[in-house]
Amino acid sequence: MILYTCPERELVVELHRAMISEAAIRSLRQAVGERNCITEPEQLRTYECDGLTSFRLTPAVVVLPETTAEVVEVVKVAHAHGLPLVPRGSGTGLSGGALPVPGCVLVGLARMKRILEIDLPNGWMRVEPGVINLEVSRRLAPEGYYYAPDPSSQSVCSIGGNVAENSGGAHCLKYGFTVNHVLGARVVLADGSVVELGGPVLDTPGYDLTGALVGSEGTLGIVTEVVLRVLRKPEATRTFFATFPSTDEAGNAVSRIIAAGIVPAAIEMMDRLAIVAIKAATGVDWPDVGAALLMDVDGPLAEVEHTAQEAVRIAREAGALLVRLPKDEAERQTMWKGRKSAFAAVGRISPNYMVQDGVIPRSVIAPVLREIEELATRAGLRIANVFHAGDGNLHPLVLYDARIHGQEELAEKVGGEILRACIRAGGSITGEHGVGADKAPYMGELFSEDDLATMALLRCSFDPEGRMNPGKIFPTPRLCGDRPGKYTPHPLEESGEAGRG
Amino acid sequence: MIPAFEAAAAHEPASVAEAARVMEQLAREGRRVGFVGGGTELELGAPPERIDAVVRTRGLRRIVEYQPADMVMVVEAGVTLAEMQAAAREHRQRLALDPPWPDRATIGGIVATGAFGPRRARYGAVRDLIIGVQLVRADGTVARGGGKVVKNVAGFDLPKLACGSLGTLGLIAGATFRLHPLPETSQTVVVSGLSPAEVVAMVSRVRAAQLEPVAAAALRGPSGYDLALCFEGFGKGVEQQIGTLRQLAPAARATEDAWARHDEVRTGGPLRIKVAALPSQLPEVDRLVAPLGLRFAWYATLGLGFASGASVEHAAGLIADARAELARRGGSLVVQAALSTLRVDPWGPPPPAFPLFERLKQNFDPDRRLNPGRFVGGL
Repeated sequence: MILYTCPERELVVELHRAMISEAAIRSLRQAVGERNCITEPEQLRTYECDGLTSFRLTPAVVVLPETTAEVVEVVKVAHAHGLPLVPRGSGTGLSGGALPVPGCVLVGLARMKRILEIDLPNGWMRVEPGVINLEVSRRLAPEGYYYAPDPSSQSVCSIGGNVAENSGGAHCLKYGFTVNHVLGARVVLADGSVVELGGPVLDTPGYDLTGALVGSEGTLGIVTEVVLRVLRKPEATRTFFATFPSTDEAGNAVSRIIAAGIVPAAIEMMDRLAIVAIKAATGVDWPDVGAALLMDVDGPLAEVEHTAQEAVRIAREAGALLVRLPKDEAERQTMWKGRKSAFAAVGRISPNYMVQDGVIPRSVIAPVLREIEELATRAGLRIANVFHAGDGNLHPLVLYDARIHGQEELAEKVGGEILRACIRAGGSITGEHGVGADKAPYMGELFSEDDLATMALLRCSFDPEGRMNPGKIFPTPRLCGDRPGKYTPHPLEESGEAGRG
Repeated sequence: MIPAFEAAAAHEPASVAEAARVMEQLAREGRRVGFVGGGTELELGAPPERIDAVVRTRGLRRIVEYQPADMVMVVEAGVTLAEMQAAAREHRQRLALDPPWPDRATIGGIVATGAFGPRRARYGAVRDLIIGVQLVRADGTVARGGGKVVKNVAGFDLPKLACGSLGTLGLIAGATFRLHPLPETSQTVVVSGLSPAEVVAMVSRVRAAQLEPVAAAALRGPSGYDLALCFEGFGKGVEQQIGTLRQLAPAARATEDAWARHDEVRTGGPLRIKVAALPSQLPEVDRLVAPLGLRFAWYATLGLGFASGASVEHAAGLIADARAELARRGGSLVVQAALSTLRVDPWGPPPPAFPLFERLKQNFDPDRRLNPGRFVGGL
């Protein structure tokens, strides 16, 4: 795993700047204006990591373009000087996708936040990448429409970041992920050319490059406009909260609800430790139990009345201790707030934690959870589980204390073992957070060399020089036209400025 | 069968490993290769320039894995949609995809052509249901993308790249799909005699009333459009939705007949056309398609339409005009099938992203041996 540690921050900035010529910096200033080209070490620190804070590297320069034309100028400067580019939205990503790489131009897109066009009769809108996810639905709410993907960070994460990571959220069980809701995009490629992929009208003849772009983690280009699918709000939503003696019964309830032909809008599970943390942080009056489920069904009123009733009946049969229905929308929101603040809540019961994003087939949730528990016990660490049970997307939070020598490394190791357990169970190493810098070392365990080389063919079609967000997703640098080579350490690693642990 | 495919030497591998060996052999010999599944869409695209060898997928017909509890099925390319549905039905599940010719159309072909039917309105296209793919590349390399879990963002989305790629990037040897539960009830109601503008208005009222039809197909007839709306789910929900619809359109009648008419449009010929526009643009689409004298079905919430029938005299010119008008509005027109006497470009001018298509094709198939000339822009 690449760990960028830089105790002598300013020295590192200087080192990186040495890799970017003064001429390049001058051109970048011209491209976006003096104010939007950041080179002050203090200000640069804001951009040294994303939501995965254990990986840090101070970039040498950050640009904040406001238009596609400015992005094109920036990319052309980088092209002319052979510099890598790292795009960044709100910086809430949890896999180090927006982590700077040595000598890069970091392109922050937060200033591109205009909503450009809304066409409700045809169910789409066009936005810039810096628009905040929740802002889209807020804007549509008065008309009774919304944007379906709802990552837990939706009040701060950007649409551009969602496109990069193919973000999910609790409600993607029924409605799908970002990729199912992006109809098209305008993309600036590494050579500064601008391409339009897809658009509001479906089925543009040719390859589905919109589908390939979403989830490519900034390695194919910089998205400067996105066409989103927007949906009419469902007539009704029914929510229930149910507690169980353990995750076994809760998992069984999930399987039986789904086997009954019910497609919940969302079905979330929390284990004992997660419940304790959420209670402490938010003050929700949940009982101390082994596991809890929070479930939404939505759709036409009679349909949801029926499915909610059925689901509650099945949950009781499966051993629910208590089933609680919110008496009004406010209480429903409180329940969901509890769930959505789970990560932050865990942060309050432990000095540090590391979140994993493995996915497993729904039918093996119970045995894999037990395996995770054994891993934790053996390592002497605590693990809280908060996850999207309907689609088997686990979020084990490995709790540790970085002040205790060796505990961070131990937590990393346990995290890696969890991912391996997910791979063995026929699952994946990431369901919605992306591979980024964090999980790139595990890609070789999930995919064969041939699989990865085939993915590289796509990459090379967009970015033959490999300058778009290099070092992310793929375990080793892959050069277009070459057979994948052995890992070569970066000069900074060799000099001891950055390490690989 | 179109001549290029007929004349070529045929290979029929019985396993993915054998398919890889065949592809490797054909690469060594420098052969140009075409792929054939159920043979339902061989007319799609330009006739390939020359095909030396055909790889048929009908030997690849195993259902590799099916865990009903996970609602995921892994199949080889030659499995037909009907076979897949039969296996899923035993567990009250289905692949929520309803393209034409389910008895013949294979999964590989459906992925390669991006085929779909009216339920796309609710469940999306193949791209929205596929979660994994196995490709045999031009040189025989077997590569996998995606996986066996519905939620998965590890690596590039090769499954989506395969959708609609028409055998120009590699042989689609197998695919993995998410399944949906079979609904308890399925009922269709038809609102008849609508003008194009009334179809648009009706769809907008349906949406305003928060009804959720799984399919909405407007079929053109002698006295206007018949809008067929299919509702699925649990009995009570379907009943309520149909009740609400009757308030919006008191003359709506319950009938399943509309789907037979719809299927005739989808499978008709010899000329078959697909149009794409915004849903609200039906009046313009109608005006452009009408002179062709074809039967026409319009997926009213998607903005996708299909026309089929005998070719009129000036069809080529009318198609060119319609295509230009649609393109101006951001839409497209694809000729899916036509008599060879009709001189018409099946795809029309390539989209702005074409330079990327070319680079992708170059990287996946550097010797340009896979279905050469068949895809958009002569790829």
